[in-house]
Amino acid sequence: MTGDRAEIVVIGGGVSGLSSAYYLAKAGKDVIVVEKGMVGGEASGRNGGMISERTDEPALIPLAVESVRLWATLEEELGYPTELIHQGRVQVGVSEEEMGDIFSERDEALRHSISVEPLDPSEVQDLVPGITGRTLGGLFFANGGHANPQRAVQAFAWAFQDLGGRLYQNTAVTGINVEDDKVTSVETTAGSIAADVLVAAAGPQTALLAEMAGVHVPIAPARVEIIATAPLEPLFDIALVGNGLYGRQAARGNLLFGGGAHEWIDVDLTSEPGKPNTPLIRNIARRLAELLPAVADAPVIRSWAGIVEQAPDYLPIIDIADNPSNYIVVTASAHGFGIAPATGKVVSDLVLHGESCIDISGLKLNRFTDLTPDWRQNRGWIPAHGIQ
Amino acid sequence: MEARPLVVVGAGVAGTAAAIEAAKVGVQVTLIDENPVPAAMAGLNVPLFFGQRFEDALSDRALMMERVVAANEGLSKAEDAGVDIRLGTCVWGAFRNSENSRVLDGPQIGLADHERSWMMKYDRLIVAAGSRDLSFGFAGCNLVGAMGANGAYSLMSRYDALAAKRMVVLGSGNLGLNTAKMALDNGIEVAAIVDVAPSVRGNDALVKTIHAQGVELFSSHTVKEAVGSNGDIESVMLVEIDDDCKPVAGTEKVITADTICLAIGLVPNVEILSLLNCDLNFKSELGGYVPSRDDWMRTSVDNVFVAGDAAGIHDAMFLDRNIARNQGRIAGIAAAESPGAITSGFPPSTGKMSEGQRGTSAFSNASSSPTEVHTLWKRWLRSLANVGGQDIVVCQCEEVTRSEIIGLEPPRYLEWGSDQMSRRSLQTQLKDNPVNPNQVKRLTRAGTGTCQGRNCREQVALLLAEESNTDIADVPLSTYRAPLRPLPLNVLWPDDESEDVRNEWPKWFSPNNKVLG
Repeated sequence: MTGDRAEIVVIGGGVSGLSSAYYLAKAGKDVIVVEKGMVGGEASGRNGGMISERTDEPALIPLAVESVRLWATLEEELGYPTELIHQGRVQVGVSEEEMGDIFSERDEALRHSISVEPLDPSEVQDLVPGITGRTLGGLFFANGGHANPQRAVQAFAWAFQDLGGRLYQNTAVTGINVEDDKVTSVETTAGSIAADVLVAAAGPQTALLAEMAGVHVPIAPARVEIIATAPLEPLFDIALVGNGLYGRQAARGNLLFGGGAHEWIDVDLTSEPGKPNTPLIRNIARRLAELLPAVADAPVIRSWAGIVEQAPDYLPIIDIADNPSNYIVVTASAHGFGIAPATGKVVSDLVLHGESCIDISGLKLNRFTDLTPDWRQNRGWIPAHGIQ
Repeated sequence: MEARPLVVVGAGVAGTAAAIEAAKVGVQVTLIDENPVPAAMAGLNVPLFFGQRFEDALSDRALMMERVVAANEGLSKAEDAGVDIRLGTCVWGAFRNSENSRVLDGPQIGLADHERSWMMKYDRLIVAAGSRDLSFGFAGCNLVGAMGANGAYSLMSRYDALAAKRMVVLGSGNLGLNTAKMALDNGIEVAAIVDVAPSVRGNDALVKTIHAQGVELFSSHTVKEAVGSNGDIESVMLVEIDDDCKPVAGTEKVITADTICLAIGLVPNVEILSLLNCDLNFKSELGGYVPSRDDWMRTSVDNVFVAGDAAGIHDAMFLDRNIARNQGRIAGIAAAESPGAITSGFPPSTGKMSEGQRGTSAFSNASSSPTEVHTLWKRWLRSLANVGGQDIVVCQCEEVTRSEIIGLEPPRYLEWGSDQMSRRSLQTQLKDNPVNPNQVKRLTRAGTGTCQGRNCREQVALLLAEESNTDIADVPLSTYRAPLRPLPLNVLWPDDESEDVRNEWPKWFSPNNKVLG
């Protein structure tokens, strides 16, 4: 593969990288995606599958609203199933604190003309049969929904290939060559690949990659957990948030819910990070049984963990670096799945036109100009000392 | 949280031997065994392939507890030796600190009975979790009465609750022969023993004994179908196969039977070891993925030992349980001699086994050649495909067929069809990636069901090996996940969750850096 080249090299076969690669290939560009493992092997294939307009993170709203629009026709667009269930999202309040969040999200939605409907406890009960009697109220987001991350990321990958895109899996990046303030090529375990533009969408590894090109991307990796029950009769088709959990009932009937404490970790560029579960899955089970007491006897049949990354303000970073000027950073702060379609469009716009008509002004790198290099230590966003 | 100096998982031959050996020298040993298993769990073919072929008495937990105790003389010996015994208790999880999980309060296992779950810390762990049934799909294999050898063994020996009247046994190795003999001894008619191999594979003396009781032996035969009414098997149709495993026309035979017992092979139970990230390597002669271990039954993880079937199982072990017993004894001694094990303060000399003793006891070599086991399994799979076609269900829980796996098709309930999708298959996927059961699982859902893949893992791996022309040893292990048993939310949950934990439950990524207990 030595002597390989493409107009654009995308590092990272997760949902953000593959969506970017798809829209670039659709625009007629010659694109190679380099992935150290298999597509969607990390957080992109392990997340909760939630899709929403992100009224909880106002800076994300323009991107999220565009994504929701794209999700609606994505299966047709790509030609592969994503298991999208587009029946809305319900945020339930079972505590005064959660009700507080609901009120602030309602206000945010109204400011942005996003369709929301406040729900009283009986209306919540209608949408989510069997929900706890502790429900104080809720909020219905008509445009929210959920999809199957593993299917969706594979759909992007296949559709990208169908457009002639080249996908190199099991290929790790070992170096980035920069000349005259531009990336010229990427060194990989499968040889060197020359490129006109580099898109780095490598999740938690994005920071390490960026360092190789002299770009500072402040993110910290963390491990989070999800549980799955056996398939149940259809209960609800909305995406559900409440009692400290987020989740959905998959098309097959399994309840998939995550939440709770995360653990800060470190990653490297070539190996697959360990993703053990912990006894936290018991606490998630308890929260889920409390949220949905009618199915408290549903058997849990698996759990898994995923590694996500977080920027200091918990928001994605989508930007062109100042130097090298053909280096595009895409990292999602654990919001990647839901916003992936629009992320791909934005990245495609940035590559093709240097700007995007979707407002990503809150997601630029320059918001961290004043951040000190030891920000992770200062915040305690570092792994616990030692291993017992 | 309970904390124990030595926990032994599994009260079979190896586990009880380990527990007794360690207790004899003064170690406080806790011995855990999931039998009796809740009838609801047994109905799901967890942990063994019971095939619903059990008497209603299985739901009588007190009675089953009595029988489990009465049937296992190792238990009373262990009790005499001072072992703390916990029956009806499964291990559903195992956790220890590692690079990306650092805040646990020491290594611990997750336990559950039929009502609640709890955590137990251990200083040393001996995994003697036994083996489970190798299962293959064929027409009618989801009927009541299709079961596995370990399921049948367990129902006969532990529960005295096997409801079979007339059985066809698949597999003529020592496992199959032993199963047939045991069935006969239990008053169950054995109509036939069937094998795809051209001749009977097991012990000659055993063959003679069984033959003398009128059991017909069908070599170079496979199963075409189990036929039944009302969901219950009534007969089994066999057919002769040629050297290419293809059916020979006109050789079908219908045998009246209510039970078909798959005794083709067993698979070591390495789930707990996998969760603890012990090194696992594929060894066909030992039944598939088995832990790396040294002569003292130590795995690659500190203070985690293995013994018996879980360490790897071969044909000689079905006839000589001393092999597993000696492995257990060695693991017990090794665990007892590991630093800090004996807290009583007067450790007697444990009398280490000599090299010679160990050499002759625990490590009798597997009798088969390095690939023979899976070559035979593959032959079974091929014959069943040739006879039953591509629409045979491989994953019973999610109803995924052989052709759907090969076609990498999305599940039927998605009702998805597109030109693009129809051009994709396992073959196109193999151009991008080496074969990977986890990827196949994601896309087809094979292995994602309530039985947690127990029934189809090996079939899927063998099928992928065959379709991709990959050595079975190079097909990665499909990941095991906690909980290792399907546990209701309100059993898995911590019933002792503190108010602090409840109040400190973090919102998504709000500051919090600890795992809740």
